[in-house]
Amino acid sequence: MLVAKNLSKSYKEVKALNNVSLAVQEGELYGLLGPNGAGKTTMISILSSLLKPDCGEILYRGKSLYQNLTESKKMIGVVPQEIALYEDLTAFENLKFWGTLYGIKGKQLQLKIEELLSFLGLSDRKNHKIKNYSGGMKRRINIAAALLHDPKIVFMDEPTVGIDPQSRNLIFEVIQELHSRGLTMIYTTHYMEEAERLCDRIGIIDEGKIIAEGSFEELKKSSNIKEEIHVKFTNTLKTDLSNIDNHFNGQLLIHENQMVLSTSQANADLPILIQMCTNANLHLENLQVRSLSLESIFLELTGKSLRD
Amino acid sequence: MFTIAFKGIRQYFKDRTAVLLSLLLPIVLITLFALMYGGIGKKEKSRPISLLFTDQDNTELSKEVFKTLNDQDGMQLFPKSYEEASDLIKKGKNTAVLVLYKGFQDSVEAGNKAPMELFYDEAKEIEMGLLQQALWSNLFGITMKKGIKGKVNTWIREKNPNLADAELLNIQAQVEEQFTDFDNSEDSKKMEEKSNLPMTAIVSEEKNGNLGLVQAIAGTAIMMLLFSVSGSGASLLKEKEDGTFRRLLVSPITPSSILYGKMLSTLFMAVLQLTVMFLYSWLALGLDIFINLPALLLMILSAAIACTSFGIFMASVCKSRKQVESLSTLVILVISALGGSMMPLIFMPEIMHKLAIVSVNYWAIEGFFDIFWRQLPLSEIYPKMLVLLGIGTVLTSISVISFKRNLLKLV
Repeated sequence: MLVAKNLSKSYKEVKALNNVSLAVQEGELYGLLGPNGAGKTTMISILSSLLKPDCGEILYRGKSLYQNLTESKKMIGVVPQEIALYEDLTAFENLKFWGTLYGIKGKQLQLKIEELLSFLGLSDRKNHKIKNYSGGMKRRINIAAALLHDPKIVFMDEPTVGIDPQSRNLIFEVIQELHSRGLTMIYTTHYMEEAERLCDRIGIIDEGKIIAEGSFEELKKSSNIKEEIHVKFTNTLKTDLSNIDNHFNGQLLIHENQMVLSTSQANADLPILIQMCTNANLHLENLQVRSLSLESIFLELTGKSLRD
Repeated sequence: MFTIAFKGIRQYFKDRTAVLLSLLLPIVLITLFALMYGGIGKKEKSRPISLLFTDQDNTELSKEVFKTLNDQDGMQLFPKSYEEASDLIKKGKNTAVLVLYKGFQDSVEAGNKAPMELFYDEAKEIEMGLLQQALWSNLFGITMKKGIKGKVNTWIREKNPNLADAELLNIQAQVEEQFTDFDNSEDSKKMEEKSNLPMTAIVSEEKNGNLGLVQAIAGTAIMMLLFSVSGSGASLLKEKEDGTFRRLLVSPITPSSILYGKMLSTLFMAVLQLTVMFLYSWLALGLDIFINLPALLLMILSAAIACTSFGIFMASVCKSRKQVESLSTLVILVISALGGSMMPLIFMPEIMHKLAIVSVNYWAIEGFFDIFWRQLPLSEIYPKMLVLLGIGTVLTSISVISFKRNLLKLV
């Protein structure tokens, strides 16, 4: 469906994308996972024709994106990170406007809007102004605006930013439904659980490069880490824990009163970790050994947390 | 392009408060300016010019001067001592004081320079101009007649040194009689008529309506329109900030369509605003808008195009909405002051008349003056419309280049 070869893009001194190549199959849901500033939005902007790469090639179904840009644009749907809607217009008016830009008119447009609103559970709110919608509802209309013209591929740039867990689950369901209907999607996020839950394949991007790619199972197999030890303490971790981190070669994530150690030998590392925490006057509240997550894989690959 | 234009118009009408303000505020300002320029209601008789008068001579002639000046239409004299008068002028309560010094009558009768002086406040230049004009004819009329009589008597005495006093008094009485007879004679009236410069107004309020009203409407409407269109232009940058601009750019329309669509909706709002202004002026202020309707409609369209281009130009050269708002306010105030929106150009020095031609306001105001005040035919007005369209074309061309350079790059 989509093949991108050797894409590079720089903003003055900053290299946002560095010789990135990517191939997405028809009907695939591809996750682009990386921290803020890794190059995800630049990648999506280039693939959706919003930005021109400094070099590289983009092919949709074998044809260059720029060969017939207008026709290429009709194949593409973009769900931007921002709520790209007109707040003072109703959901129906917004969708009508965006649909008209793609040449859909009259009854056909009306039916498409009704269908999408019903699919997203917002039929009864179609005549309400967007400014009166909740964050989650706005996000759903934001998705609907990208689907009006039946695109062949949809780019979703962090579509769940800033919404509550319930709305997030609703959006996940929508994405899964679209996926089951065979829509090709590229999904960017810095939430590893989203990528784990939704994506067929994941590309881990950092500092403008895709540093690992594959299904979650493939990524797990290629990793040296097998498990994670999650420890919760009764007190906040204020003391200097660099000696523990050094002992485990930087595979320790610390956040408020929690600690996650990514390890290939949980049985051996667990007693050492407990002993070192006791020595540091940290009082354990809870301890779990879990299977490997993307967060740990990312930490192993880049030496930093996804939320850095 | 039309889809974007219709969306813009729909958004405009959705915000009822903004619609009301965009129409109501100019109406309030037009009414206010029309009141200031005396453009509403029956033309009142203008307020008389007040002049303080210090009589240090206290003679028949000085009293005659007071009476003659005070009897003039449009002038009112107030006798004051010099100290009181200068104090009132310093406090800004009066404009000037005319002082007749001791020996005024004697000097005048002897045909010498009259000892009198006018003290004034330099800040009140306009009032002083009117005052000088009124004083010139009256004051010098009295003193010169007396001076000539004095000169004649002196000449008789010098040429006839042996003349008896009784004879001399007789001759002087005859001279006096001749002057008085001449003053009252038909010949005097005929001479006065001959010497008077006949004046006929070609363009006057009686024939051409209310000058103040035309100034108030044309000046205010254009200035307020510039503020409205700059707000509309700023909405282009709001689209960028909100992310809708990115979505527009990934849709299958060209970037130029976005700009032209925005221009079209702004133009619609501009034409609507000007039309409402003139309808209000007709219904509430009595401006005859049907005097040359085709010219008015074309002038509204030309002014709206020029102003719309200005709004889009500001949006395309600025990098944020805040920049547009502050820079537009500054530029609009400057070009409105230059172009005569705030104050009629006749009150401004020559250099301002030359600078005014760079202002959209100037050409639009002059165009509306051509229609309503000078009542020129369309064939005489169209060059001003062409200038406005020229301004619109130049600003739009720069906007297209800047739009591609600034807005598209900032995505």
